[in-house]
Amino acid sequence: MKSKGHLYFSAFLLVISGYVIFTASRWSFKTGFFPLAAAIPLLVLVLIHLYLELFAPAEVSKGPAVEAEFSDEVAPDIARRRVITIFSWIAAFILFVYLIGFPLTVPLFIFCYLKFQSDVTWLSTITLTAISWGFFYTLFQRLVYIQFEAGVIPTWLGL
Amino acid sequence: MFDAFIDGLFLVLQWKAFALMLVGMGLGFCVGLLPGIGGAATLALMIPFVFKMNPAEAFAFLLGMHSVAATTGDITSILFGVPGEGLSAATVVDGYPMAKNGEAGRALGAALMSSLVGALIGALALALAIPIVRPLVLTFGSPELFMLSMIGIACITSLSGLSVRGQIRGFAMGLLGLLLSTIGQERQSGSLRFDMGLMYLWEGLDLVPVLVGIFAIPELVDLAVRGTSIAGDRPAENLSRGVMEGIKDTFRHFWLVFRCSAVGVFVGIMPGAGGGVAQWMAYAHAVQSAKDSKDRERFGKGDVRGVLGPGAANNSKEGGDLVPTIAFGVPGSGAMAILLGGFMIMGLVPGPDMLSKHLAVTYSMVWTLVIANIITVVLSLAVLNQLAKVTYIRGGLIIPFVLLLVFVGSYTANGHLADLIVTFCFGVLGYLMVLWGWPRPPLVLGLVLGKLVETYLFISVSRYGFAWLAHPLVLFLIALMAVVIVYPFVREKPAWAGGGE
Repeated sequence: MKSKGHLYFSAFLLVISGYVIFTASRWSFKTGFFPLAAAIPLLVLVLIHLYLELFAPAEVSKGPAVEAEFSDEVAPDIARRRVITIFSWIAAFILFVYLIGFPLTVPLFIFCYLKFQSDVTWLSTITLTAISWGFFYTLFQRLVYIQFEAGVIPTWLGL
Repeated sequence: MFDAFIDGLFLVLQWKAFALMLVGMGLGFCVGLLPGIGGAATLALMIPFVFKMNPAEAFAFLLGMHSVAATTGDITSILFGVPGEGLSAATVVDGYPMAKNGEAGRALGAALMSSLVGALIGALALALAIPIVRPLVLTFGSPELFMLSMIGIACITSLSGLSVRGQIRGFAMGLLGLLLSTIGQERQSGSLRFDMGLMYLWEGLDLVPVLVGIFAIPELVDLAVRGTSIAGDRPAENLSRGVMEGIKDTFRHFWLVFRCSAVGVFVGIMPGAGGGVAQWMAYAHAVQSAKDSKDRERFGKGDVRGVLGPGAANNSKEGGDLVPTIAFGVPGSGAMAILLGGFMIMGLVPGPDMLSKHLAVTYSMVWTLVIANIITVVLSLAVLNQLAKVTYIRGGLIIPFVLLLVFVGSYTANGHLADLIVTFCFGVLGYLMVLWGWPRPPLVLGLVLGKLVETYLFISVSRYGFAWLAHPLVLFLIALMAVVIVYPFVREKPAWAGGGE
């Protein structure tokens, strides 16, 4: 998986560096110098990396990068399903912020996640939703005065 | 001078100044826990409240708040993998894995104690540096600051795998970070770069949504996939013992904590270097301190040294930041630029007067840093046991609240829906990077340092042509950079000779 991933990511970086070189080479020296100074070595490094991945023997891991690793305790198909589920929840959160604004999305999201995803009891769900909404309202809206966008639906309705 | 030093202490201990410092600390504690709303933003919000205070009260209030936010920012980084302050992301790299390993108490104890030691060293540096800082700061022009930034970039060697492909991946990520830093308006000519026609990108990518997305979202996804608590099914840690162990770790690795604090002070003193740089350089230095590849492999998977280094640097930087702010009116960071506003409101002019006429006020700042950090750490230690229990709560109950913190924190960066989209995109990128083994820290380092590198490079070339490359200090810094790059390989030599790539 990691080896395939290296190829995918290299391809992604190849596209990015190619795009930057193509775009920045048409700019003035002052504007384009720094992006080119980063993109050209990036392109070279990615090409070397691709060559090594495709034609060189498998890597012997010595002194791996300083980086976390995901747990492998869950079966891959279940893990994949859960990844899609959580990213869907996150995307839905953003979509609802866009549609109905932060103040309404917060209790709605907490309620729905606790009830339908985490299968928490009704009483706990309602209590936790109320607490989180109270915390959000008191801290961010009353104390820190953060101006949250209203969302397109309330704006459209003139609320 | 000694009289002023003591007078400074009494200024802070006056009941009104002390009470205001406690109020500021309370605010800083809450703000530090919330991702996105950094100490700088809170300083800006609180500046209007200092109009009726005298200088000692105002600085006790503002600095008490700011220094505490730097300390408590590490708490959410460790417990949830969400950088409490946008720039305290380096603590996440080893702090959160420690929590996942059932060592949340130890990580928190280490973070708090190293923060305290760092803060004390920062305050001491501030007190000692005041008479001697002028020649140091004036020695560092743009070429030297450019080389310092390049040393930061060179730290990528330490953060990447030591194999050929590991180094390529690390440097590729660093270069991607540099490229991301070029998004937005170019500072010299004002031209727009890679803005995709979006006004949101004119100012470039804000660090908070990027850092929160790239570090917090992958951890949340992993938590959702595991379906357990953050600490998993590991037996509950003896929290008191864990916290105590973390405190002992600070003194076990005291020399490392001291060196990382020195890194923080130095980066703080250099105007414009920013807080994130100090943390990442300290983290890279902590990794460099590994004895061999076996020892090094523990970083990123929950090594306490990866918490101690950034924790110390994050707080020592505060003392360093104040040095150029007080001595020259040149702010060392965004937060210090806001604090300068406080100076103006108080009718104080940073510069020679602060080192002569108002020396007691200057020393009151040193004392505020010391006292606020001691009180915070003592109070935090009292509640750490309860905080660490959070890592044993079922993931399904934690995720929606952490997601809320993540997105509200990101939103506060610019108050724009696009902040959430940036967080999401970098969350996906961070997830794929972890999944496929591409390191995230070099990308962050490139992004944090990119603007500085470009700015200082242009000023150096415009001012000196290429003659700056022959400046003695630049040559010294080039040699130092070479040492930073080569050092991990030299330490690794026996392993490489024994059949590496």
